[in-house]
Amino acid sequence: MSLADPQFNALGELHHFIDIDGLDKSLLTQILDTAEGFAGVNDRTIKNVPLLRGKTVANLFFENSTRTRTAFELAAKRLSADVLNVDLVTSSTNKGESLLDTLHVLEALQCDMFVVRHGESGAAHFIARHVSPSINVINGGDGQHSHPTQGMLDMFTIRRHKGDFSNLCVVLIGDIRHSRVARSDISALVKLGTGEVRVVGPRTLVPSDVESLGVTIFPTLEKALVGADVIMGLRLQKERMRTATVPSSGEFYRTYGLSPERLALAKPDALIMHPGPTNRGVEIAGSVADGKQSVILEQVTYGIAVRMAVMSIVMGNATNLRRAQS
Amino acid sequence: MSVTTEQVIIIDRVQLLDNDTEHRITIRDGHVESIVASSDASKETGPNVLVIDGQGQTAVRGLCDLYSRLREPGLTRKGSIATESQAALASGFTKVLCSPDTQPTIDSIATVQLIRQRAEAAQGAEILPIAALTVGLAGEQLSELATLQAAGCPAASQADVPVGNTNVLYSAMEYAASFSMPLFMTARDSQLGAGGCAHAGAMATKLGLPSIPVAAETVALARLLELCRETECRLHISRISSARSLQMIDAAKQAALPVTCDVALHHLFFTDEQLAGYDSTFHSEVPFRSLADRDALREGLRAGIIDAICTDHAPHDRDASLAPFPATEPGLSAYHWALPLILQLPELVGLPLNQVFEKLSAAPRRIIDGAEHTGMTEGEQADFFLLNKDAAVDPMKVSLESVGTNHPLNIHSAESLGLSPMLGRVSHAFLQSRHHPF
Repeated sequence: MSLADPQFNALGELHHFIDIDGLDKSLLTQILDTAEGFAGVNDRTIKNVPLLRGKTVANLFFENSTRTRTAFELAAKRLSADVLNVDLVTSSTNKGESLLDTLHVLEALQCDMFVVRHGESGAAHFIARHVSPSINVINGGDGQHSHPTQGMLDMFTIRRHKGDFSNLCVVLIGDIRHSRVARSDISALVKLGTGEVRVVGPRTLVPSDVESLGVTIFPTLEKALVGADVIMGLRLQKERMRTATVPSSGEFYRTYGLSPERLALAKPDALIMHPGPTNRGVEIAGSVADGKQSVILEQVTYGIAVRMAVMSIVMGNATNLRRAQS
Repeated sequence: MSVTTEQVIIIDRVQLLDNDTEHRITIRDGHVESIVASSDASKETGPNVLVIDGQGQTAVRGLCDLYSRLREPGLTRKGSIATESQAALASGFTKVLCSPDTQPTIDSIATVQLIRQRAEAAQGAEILPIAALTVGLAGEQLSELATLQAAGCPAASQADVPVGNTNVLYSAMEYAASFSMPLFMTARDSQLGAGGCAHAGAMATKLGLPSIPVAAETVALARLLELCRETECRLHISRISSARSLQMIDAAKQAALPVTCDVALHHLFFTDEQLAGYDSTFHSEVPFRSLADRDALREGLRAGIIDAICTDHAPHDRDASLAPFPATEPGLSAYHWALPLILQLPELVGLPLNQVFEKLSAAPRRIIDGAEHTGMTEGEQADFFLLNKDAAVDPMKVSLESVGTNHPLNIHSAESLGLSPMLGRVSHAFLQSRHHPF
């Protein structure tokens, strides 16, 4: 009834990495296991491996980003790829050229992989459906929909600390409605068989029918934190505070801010996670963000290994496909 | 397709909607001369007589579409009066009310005349322009409604642009009431759900799409109904989408407000679940809502709360769909698949076929002019078509009839959408003293 998932190639292997929703547990586990291998690379003196030597990865960022773009660039470079950063925020799409025309121009430059960030939900799906089959697309975040590499690096961080997902209680706090990270995290957590996934936030920030994603809504942060193994904060964008969704950062912190007192309600070894950038004193107290339970900077580091894993898997699959077709 | 001009046309052995026996319909000089049982009387022959074998076909009164976009003037890359009026006729619609959201909008005599002249030249369905309620649909200054009405606009509408200012809306309804001009209003709040592109439900949440809650419709509807109560303006709610709106309209009708409503044909079939995978062929300005809403619309049609069905035809050029879902232009190019979908309604809604067609012919005509002529009564100008219920739709004809190919059935099979095979084709249409064989 619905359009076919564009993520898979003719062999049924991952060709584009767009959305965790269409992937099964074994594929997610394969990504995590592969990333485990690359995590060791980061500790070596010579950090590069030659898996993508001779390949060109284009970072197509239609939205501003420093962290994600840098992490993708570093991951591609550690795989020995050539990296092209295309600043599209101030470029042709703002001059009226259609997204598709821009893509075709970039295709003509004969890149092998596009890492795409775009402000519209579904943009990565659209691009994956329309690019030349020789190009692999990695979603670096589309609108409010999905940020699958962030989701996978979050899973990698949790697995490194907690091992199995089945007995875990994970809490996501704050702006679920506008967060692509929340959607990817929820999707990955559910697919990996997490014991319980809770969401908590003011109703202005919790979207309709969110339970259909496999989560439980909690009325207060205090109740949500009881028994939590993993606590994930989400960035509250400042512009939300200028509209009617949240009255002020102060009130948000008083009701949903992760303070040391509230943290004490969770399990003593609960992990504190946040996709960054954090707003200290809004979503999270500075002392909690810097505290011993925080793994926020580890998430950033693991982001490189996870992105290396995703890039090498799709590129390996592309090679398999070419062999099968020749 | 050609237009034939024989003086006498005899359609023999044709069935009527409410009568399975074979009839002979004689048209002389464009008017219905007689409708008799085929077994009666002898057939007229001669050089100016065309005999059509109507066996296996049904004569159906010409359909009247209360809401369609022809895209001319101004948006002719998406469609034109010539292409869309022919597409309408090929689907059995002999009368089409076109939305004022053209460029320029239909707020001046000049635009009305242009549309009427082009429609006459096109020789497709009869086209009736709907007047823009406010100049440029900007929601500020009233259009010259009385003048536009005299020029042939049977109703006024704001198309898909809500009037934000309640003062303006109140005045518009009072003013229109002065001339008994019906207002076709889409219930959509100017701010709630603004920028949304999908029903606020599980699918929009999953896909991260900006959403339009049911309240965006019901809040606007409540405002319209209360202003209708005050102004006694004839109010027609165009393209309702939710179960709750139906309840409100039912209550308003029971309170004897002068309110009618219609539903877009595709809202009787599709739901928000079909947006999975960012399928932009389901991107509709009035969003497809939940299964419960769709089922309530079917029940509302059966129960008579919904007066009529329109097509909400919205042809687009190919580029309009080549973007991420929220940036695609909303709307379905409806005509090509309208008749096969209509023919599936009896089973889905629980109404006999003649009553389904009534919602597409007599009911819409009552809403715009109250006239009772049927187009299939002896002495009247012929206004009907011959329907071959078992003929499959020709997919190759889509692009020939309408510029737009933006419809789910152009990329999905009927079976994959849970529908029966797409059957039903017009073989001949008779209107305005013309005969169109297809």
